[in-house]
Amino acid sequence: MSEQSKKTIEVRGFMHLDAAFRKKGPIPFIMELEEPITGAELANKLEIPWDEVEVIFINGLTYALDHEVHPGDRVAFLPPGCPGPYRLALGFYSKNQNNEANFKIKKKD
Amino acid sequence: MNKFIRVDMTTMKVTTDEVPDKYVGLGGRALTSNFVADEVKPTCHPLGKNNKIIFAPGLLSGTTAANSGRISVGAKSPLTGGIKESNSGGSFSQKMAKLGIKALVIEGMPEGDKFYIVKIDINGVTIEEAPTEILGGCGNYKAIEVLSAKYGEKVGIALAGPAGEYRLPAANISFKDPEGNIRSAGRGGLGAVMGSKKIKALVIDETGAGAVPIADPEKFKEAAKVFSKALLDHPVSGQGLAAYGTDVLINILNEAGGLPAKNFTTGRIDWNDNISGETMNATIQERGGDGKISHGCHQGCVMRCSQWYADKNGKYITSGFEYETIWGLGANACIKDLDAIAYIDREMDDIGIDSIETAVAVATAMEGGLLPWGDGEAVLAAVKEIAVPTPLGRLLGSGTGAVGNACGLFRVPVVKNQAIPAYDPRNIKGIGLTYATTPMGADHTSGYCIANNILSIGGFIDPLKKEGQVDISRFLQIGTASIDSTGMCLFVWFGIADNPPAIQALVDMINAQYGLSLTIQDAVVDLGKAVLKAERGFNKAAGFTNEHDRLPEFFEYEPCAPHNLVWDFTPEEIDEVFNF
Repeated sequence: MSEQSKKTIEVRGFMHLDAAFRKKGPIPFIMELEEPITGAELANKLEIPWDEVEVIFINGLTYALDHEVHPGDRVAFLPPGCPGPYRLALGFYSKNQNNEANFKIKKKD
Repeated sequence: MNKFIRVDMTTMKVTTDEVPDKYVGLGGRALTSNFVADEVKPTCHPLGKNNKIIFAPGLLSGTTAANSGRISVGAKSPLTGGIKESNSGGSFSQKMAKLGIKALVIEGMPEGDKFYIVKIDINGVTIEEAPTEILGGCGNYKAIEVLSAKYGEKVGIALAGPAGEYRLPAANISFKDPEGNIRSAGRGGLGAVMGSKKIKALVIDETGAGAVPIADPEKFKEAAKVFSKALLDHPVSGQGLAAYGTDVLINILNEAGGLPAKNFTTGRIDWNDNISGETMNATIQERGGDGKISHGCHQGCVMRCSQWYADKNGKYITSGFEYETIWGLGANACIKDLDAIAYIDREMDDIGIDSIETAVAVATAMEGGLLPWGDGEAVLAAVKEIAVPTPLGRLLGSGTGAVGNACGLFRVPVVKNQAIPAYDPRNIKGIGLTYATTPMGADHTSGYCIANNILSIGGFIDPLKKEGQVDISRFLQIGTASIDSTGMCLFVWFGIADNPPAIQALVDMINAQYGLSLTIQDAVVDLGKAVLKAERGFNKAAGFTNEHDRLPEFFEYEPCAPHNLVWDFTPEEIDEVFNF
């Protein structure tokens, strides 16, 4: 990993967040990041509501929003909506049990 | 549903009996698998006279219960040599249920080369010679038009396409959907069994039939409402699937490093944007015309995970454009153009060939040098050869295992000779246990249903580790076997797994329809276990042992990027899945 790449992160959004990220520019969205921040802080910077995120991927592994993102990481935000068996198999459920969006029903407005 | 119909193709006689007592409480997969276990000689040749093929609606099919229109088909599989249940949407199941038909069995085999149509209506069952214009390579789309014109636009149709006529091991059974397009009982070559019995099509017309009787209509209505609302309110079944279809999984599996690519040599690609559900959604919306982002495969489907994918001029190409097909051609065979994949998908539907088996066979053929990597035009031309059939067409239609053997390869992704689908078992370990142990041969839909007991285990699941995976695979397979018996689409489980009142509503609907008092334990756990034991018993009698419950060896010594893991379950650990 070059020194340059360590000062940025690759960010993607899936489902409806994909369209939102495309408005920011090419995919993946390359964002400058000098210091580690949590996924929640990153979501805030990117104006993504927390309840629209079931898990984040960091370097191919799933984490809750409070996990730390480091310069050089590959990050993706995933809203609720991934079919159930895969949420189990990919570890969403185990990594994020306190999240309202994790195997719980979000009431429709 | 009180009629049990047998069509003997040796004598051309039809017998309609009352449902045997032992099958009264069964439907869908529970019925087809118990019947095959009871009546099919396990060691018979799947394409010989001793095999039997059974069509059965689910317990709730034909009612107003949301998403209850799946039909199960069972027989000994010419692809795996074991028992097979394959199910599909379309309108056939609901029409069978409305006519009071619990099961339709085709047995025996006629002499000669003539193909036949079996016509089912309120007056009974007749056997007629098939029109010559739909034989000898005629595509399914045209065959549906011809049969609908002859028998009525609203009839239900089950077809053996050209692949079925030629008795190719990957032939599916194609079902007409409400708009005259195609749904498939895809896996395991059941179209070849239909073709071996010289049945070109089953045509069903429920005109004159009344509603399916319900023992307690008020209780049923109440439970059906709770169930339907649960599906619509859930972010997966009510929103995600309708917007992006199952192809939503391309980006997710790619990010997780579990998207098998270039014939299972890596778990991640850099052209995922070309083929993702998000791209499909945007493309359909941009193009307009015939395209629809959301569409139900049968009447009463509220999840609507299907779609109509149109070309650049807005003209319909295909529907039910599933993740596994797009993965197989897009990631595994490296075809980077969604339109090219759509045309191949349409062709596979038209020929009546399993799109998962064929897509994996195509990638295997690419590794073997028979086709160029990523060349959509070459693949489309090769798939068209299945309908001729040329030697290459026959080879592709014989499945991944046959192609791997013909090319002298060791990297042949099959279990029990059925192609492994779109989730890499090295980086998503739990699914590998299901591929290895299900009596169906490698099949992701064999382990799909989640229940509360699984969620309690799921708290420990890490996709890269072994802990908890054996229990998860076992419970998923048990739950799936039971849901496959209800006539429900498997995807209902996405919407009700985390909603106990909705699971209860599913059981309440069955109780209200039949005047029963089943518990969740009876209807989900005990039924599922019994189905799996019947299936495994058949396979054992057919010659299968625990040694057949193994993944191909290359998974043990070829690490899969980006996590660079290998398959590391021991035989003893794998065998624990069916220890119940």
